[in-house]
Amino acid sequence: MKQAVILAAGEGQRLRPFTATKPKVMLTIAGKPILQYVVESLARRGIRNIVLVVGYRRQQIFDSVGSGEELGVEITYVTQEKQLGTAHALAQAKAKVDKEFLVLAGDNLIDADTIACLEGLTPDAMLVKRVDNPLRYGVVTLAESTVKDITEKPKEAASNIVNTGIYAFTKKIFDFIESELDIPDVLNKMIAQGHQVRAKKIDSTWLDVAYPWDILSLNSIVLPQVPASLGGIIETGASLKGLVSVGKDTVIRSNCYISGPVVIGTGCEIGPNACILPATSIGNNVVISPFTEIKNSVIGNDVSLGPGCFIQDSVIDRGSVIEGQFTAFSRQAEVKIDDEHHSVSVGAMLGEGCQIGSGVVAQSGVVVGNHSQIQALKIISGRLPDRSLVI
Amino acid sequence: MCGIIGYIGLRQAQPILLNCLGRLEYRGYDSCGIAVSEHGINVCKDAIRVEALKKTMPRLDGTAGIGHTRWATHGEPSPINAHPHLDCSGKIAVVHNGIITNYQNLRDQLSGEGHQFVSETDTEVIPHLIEKYYNGNLETAVAAALNDIEGSYAIIVLATDEPKLVAARKDSPIIISLGDRENFIASDVPAILDYSNRVVYLEDGDIGVITTDSIKVSRRGNEVAVKVHQISWTVEDAQKAGYEHFMLKEIHEQPKVIRDTLAGWVSGEALEDLATMWGDDINALLILACGTSYHAALIGKQIGQELLKIPVRAELASEFNYSTQPLARTLAIAITQSGETADTLKAMKKLKEVGCQALAITNVVGSTASRIADRTLYTRAGPEISVAATKSFTAQLMVLYQLMMSHPEIGARRLNSMTKELRQLPNKVQQVLDNEGEIAQYARELSQYENIFYIGRGINFPVALEGALKLKEISYIHGEGYAAGELKHGPFALLGSDTPVIALLAQDDTYEPMLTNIKEVKARGSPIIALTREGDEDIEKIVDKVLTVPQVEAIFSPVVNTIALQLLAYYAAREKGCPIDFPRNLAKSVTVE
Repeated sequence: MKQAVILAAGEGQRLRPFTATKPKVMLTIAGKPILQYVVESLARRGIRNIVLVVGYRRQQIFDSVGSGEELGVEITYVTQEKQLGTAHALAQAKAKVDKEFLVLAGDNLIDADTIACLEGLTPDAMLVKRVDNPLRYGVVTLAESTVKDITEKPKEAASNIVNTGIYAFTKKIFDFIESELDIPDVLNKMIAQGHQVRAKKIDSTWLDVAYPWDILSLNSIVLPQVPASLGGIIETGASLKGLVSVGKDTVIRSNCYISGPVVIGTGCEIGPNACILPATSIGNNVVISPFTEIKNSVIGNDVSLGPGCFIQDSVIDRGSVIEGQFTAFSRQAEVKIDDEHHSVSVGAMLGEGCQIGSGVVAQSGVVVGNHSQIQALKIISGRLPDRSLVI
Repeated sequence: MCGIIGYIGLRQAQPILLNCLGRLEYRGYDSCGIAVSEHGINVCKDAIRVEALKKTMPRLDGTAGIGHTRWATHGEPSPINAHPHLDCSGKIAVVHNGIITNYQNLRDQLSGEGHQFVSETDTEVIPHLIEKYYNGNLETAVAAALNDIEGSYAIIVLATDEPKLVAARKDSPIIISLGDRENFIASDVPAILDYSNRVVYLEDGDIGVITTDSIKVSRRGNEVAVKVHQISWTVEDAQKAGYEHFMLKEIHEQPKVIRDTLAGWVSGEALEDLATMWGDDINALLILACGTSYHAALIGKQIGQELLKIPVRAELASEFNYSTQPLARTLAIAITQSGETADTLKAMKKLKEVGCQALAITNVVGSTASRIADRTLYTRAGPEISVAATKSFTAQLMVLYQLMMSHPEIGARRLNSMTKELRQLPNKVQQVLDNEGEIAQYARELSQYENIFYIGRGINFPVALEGALKLKEISYIHGEGYAAGELKHGPFALLGSDTPVIALLAQDDTYEPMLTNIKEVKARGSPIIALTREGDEDIEKIVDKVLTVPQVEAIFSPVVNTIALQLLAYYAAREKGCPIDFPRNLAKSVTVE
């Protein structure tokens, strides 16, 4: 199989505020959008003909992966104007696909070994994986290596084998997509009509990002795989340990202590006397002022952090400007997403373009909407909508 | 990035190669060349664009050949450095896209073995290596040569003694395409879609061999079965990376252009380097340019006057040539995207004659402007295909900001606050782009009008000119940029319900007088649209429509305002169904007076 269809049209409502201006597949993990990992894994397996189904905020995808040339692939774009479901998305690609093709989700972290698992299978086939928390996925019932049924997000799980959303199909699949909006429904219909759908269990990497804090766990899983590299200028007295990758034109000033795995982008100014601890990703054009400590966090492009900040288990999206003495520490916290309560150990989740005054303290689990402004010395908690003003 | 092409078949290779090279020009266009084989290899190459090469080159007979179009990122574009490159015997020709990292070692070694090098390129080691290993079989010679090479490459090799082309890739794109008794090799599919839509992709490490009627691909020495893909898309789809037009793609590249310009700035080295520009005896600036670059020059004038407190003049290069002005102790800055604008070049030569220091700001490495100038600052915009300049304008502004900020007079405090603001700029621009939907919606309404005025004051007066220029050049709507205070000296006669006015506001001392002007316009019944910062609630009560951009310090407002106006012009033109990337009667660079 030489062709893959990647579904990348979705918004990712539950990942707000991070998906207000970018699609889910453009969330950055260890310095790269999730989609790029999928594309790179395909390229590594020699699959270079890629059809990308895009929709929500697709310009961000065009700007990032473009024609695919820099990643060594040829990308053809098709648009799903309304994000109605995965089968509907796939149907948009009908005119562009070969006789046989792979289908993958652009918002899952998929490695090359996982894709290799599909290569020996005859379509129609899918990859499944044993997970600890099957209820948020499609639970798959198997008979030997044949799929009997897929139940989406069941109340009770019959097994802990779930659908990875990675498939090998032939063009025949399009005959079965009628009113069905999601691929599992189409597969259930095919199975009901006597078609065989094969399944293979995988042990290799397949990770899903569903909630804002998943960004942190994925980040810490991917970071150790990023090779160390030193671009830019490392001033005398800076100490870099473990896997640290520094982009070009970045300056690490004296007495910084950076303990990998850490990825720092291009054109950043770090320190002097800043401390960056595992597992942290820092975007491009970021300023980190003296005496700031960052631990297990993801910092977006164009962010500026003032002096003396303490940031732990936090995500700070692009372009946020934070004055000195900002504190975001991590404790077990209740976070509410879509009426669901989650108990997680997390710091602050800051949307893009926020302006945070000096001495602000973020309580664990706070989610701050995009372009919010928080005045100095405030204590913030809970969930703040976009463009909040805290005075 | 460069583009490469190869042809072998029954037809004359020259016109096919040139046509394909034209399609590859989006990958770079500072020099180009082709080699055609018939009883020996004939090469024709120069540091000019494909269209120019077409006109100037002699007829080369032969039905097999290779071609190259180049975009230099370092090193000068020149006829010698242009591809194809030959070996000592002139029997092997190579075109290459990529970078050979160990070329210096290879070059020293080959020179020691008696090989003669004529260019300064890394590529030239490849034909000499192939020559070294050539023993009657081109394919094995290429494989042996590639063993010695480190770096990235997509190459096509042509040899006189064998009627075939050999191609190989590592980390750079290349494809083979099948025709009817002819075959092609190219950097990408759009290059050859005029001739064939059947394509074979090469993997890293593959070596492909094509003849008139055969294709063979080897992987690690073993022949592999080729898989032919039918391509259903049309030319240029891929190059536009998903966008409908190059112009929109280039508008969207602007956050990256700004970020790229800023990189290298933080270490302080770039600043120190720029500061050497300012000799003690310079007490005035003269900025020369044409078209959109002239609007950048006018903004540069405002930045310079504010920060440097010295007289700054901005002149149209095409008019400057008729003036005689005292130029003692003046630093002359010429801005030209292509580096080939005839009027600007002429003005530069004139300045040099009277002993002026000349600084060029251009997007094309090694262009004529950079050769005339004493110093050149390059904009980091990359190739710009759309005739309407967008990202190159923003890149010019960025260079002007940096240049003016490097002046010793500016003071640490102002420098720090501006640097901080500059760092925020890529994200602010991204926010303008994220608001595209609203701008597009309003542009559709505007496209119904035949005349539109743009007004601004101070640093936003040139932005009004640029907004109007973008509108007229791509949408063919008559856009007129005006200094807001000048409207009452004549143009008022044209205002009315069918002439909308777009007012550009900045948070500086022009804000209040702009409000007065807006009220004047409103009294004449024109629909009025304000482009202002987010949260400007006062203005909403006065005008008919507010388009917002993120708040920035007034000195940087031209960047966000211009980009909003680029989108406005784009969507107005799109609504009207105009050929946006290639508007009628216009060419990308104007090389005649």
